[in-house]
Amino acid sequence: MTPKLPTRTLLAMALRANLLQTTWNFERQQGVGWAFALHPALKRLIPDKAERCERLAEHTAYFNTQPTLASLAIGAVAQLEEQRAAGTGPDAAAMQRIKNVLGSTLAALGDRLFWFSLRPFAAALAVLVAITRPASPLAAIVLWVTYASLHLGVRFAGVGWGYREGPSVLGGVLRSSLETVVTLLSYAGCILLGVLVAWGLAPGGEPRSIAVQSALAAGLGLGLITAQRARPSPTQWALGLGVLGVAAIWLRQA
Amino acid sequence: MNLVTTGTVLLGGIAALDATPVGQTLLSQPLVTATALGLLWGDLPTALAVGVVLQILAASTLPVGSRTPEDYATGGVVGAGLALAVGGSAPYEQWRDAAQLVGVFAGMLAAMGGVPLIKWQRRLNEGLSRWTEAQLHAGHEGALAQAHGAAVALAFAVGVAYCALWLGGGTLLLRAFTETESLRLSRAWTLLQPLWLGFGFAQLLHAFTQRKLTRAGVFGFVMLVAWLTLVMGS
Repeated sequence: MTPKLPTRTLLAMALRANLLQTTWNFERQQGVGWAFALHPALKRLIPDKAERCERLAEHTAYFNTQPTLASLAIGAVAQLEEQRAAGTGPDAAAMQRIKNVLGSTLAALGDRLFWFSLRPFAAALAVLVAITRPASPLAAIVLWVTYASLHLGVRFAGVGWGYREGPSVLGGVLRSSLETVVTLLSYAGCILLGVLVAWGLAPGGEPRSIAVQSALAAGLGLGLITAQRARPSPTQWALGLGVLGVAAIWLRQA
Repeated sequence: MNLVTTGTVLLGGIAALDATPVGQTLLSQPLVTATALGLLWGDLPTALAVGVVLQILAASTLPVGSRTPEDYATGGVVGAGLALAVGGSAPYEQWRDAAQLVGVFAGMLAAMGGVPLIKWQRRLNEGLSRWTEAQLHAGHEGALAQAHGAAVALAFAVGVAYCALWLGGGTLLLRAFTETESLRLSRAWTLLQPLWLGFGFAQLLHAFTQRKLTRAGVFGFVMLVAWLTLVMGS
């Protein structure tokens, strides 16, 4: 079957994918955003307005996945909608099942790639720049470019990949490539953190006071212990440590 | 309200949008917003000192699945903004250090306080999504765009209002306190800054290593080599 959707329609869908989470809610999660992103494709595939509105309403049902890789699912479902418009695609129930499978598969990889690897890596790289160049705005640029280049690249190209490959988009080469990126980022992150801790102990080669070095080491040790459990959150721990620290200084100097 | 204050609270709205509703490009991360505020207020070192600590904590706070994590988008703006407001132009270093400590505390509290606010918006969005579906069934195709417009406006307004409240109230309540208690607060900052950084590095290390010994070994080896290179090379 010859693809019907031109590049500008795929681009419009990718642009709308930026709003996938705008109406995020506990009931349908990304459902309404999903329907909004799919609208340009349906507008082209279903000329009848009443039928199109019914199809859009169907797409406002529950959907959730990692928001960057969602583009792949949007493209894949656009291909299925094209088949459906030609009378050969899945029915509404099958479409919902495919969406659910795509959502959970993409989330499993996307969470590890974007949330557990790329975001911490970008932050660590930017913090290294910030503490070595404390009077420069470069750290913010490094953070944004490191994350957004891959995030926006996948978001915009992903709709096209999904549209060409259909629901099997995450099989084969793309999946193994993204898995490789996850592994590489994890190793690069460990290297970066090694440099960061060394710099924290002796910035520019000048060792800091024993008190500061001990505080850094104590934070690192405590952090590794608390990281084993999700609750309390890192912020709650950090706040508690801060309150204890201030109280200790207050009592010492009372 | 002057241009700098207006810019600060508007940045709160922009950060609130980028965090989840629009784009998710990390423009809302504390280091990015702190840099913008540092340039706006003309004091980059103070803003970055706060931004670095909040960034490290934000990096280990992840919006996975349907979890509502701490809101470091507005937390970052509140933290850096308040530090600049209560001590950015202070005449002596202890006062500036004290302001940075106050900024980090305010940033963390604002991030935690933002959670119920985000949950409230998400509950409102439930009604909006039901309305959208009903409108689509009635043949009103434009409902999708209207719903998105409404949700964007709400998120922006909440972000602006929340930051304005924190910055206004915080400056009013904490400026004099930061000045009079600057000595003790600056000493606390000297110890807490490395403690918080170490704590945050550990969270990131945990995310990278995923309990794999090889990766932990790489971290340890690089740390040792980097430390030796720094100390021997100086």
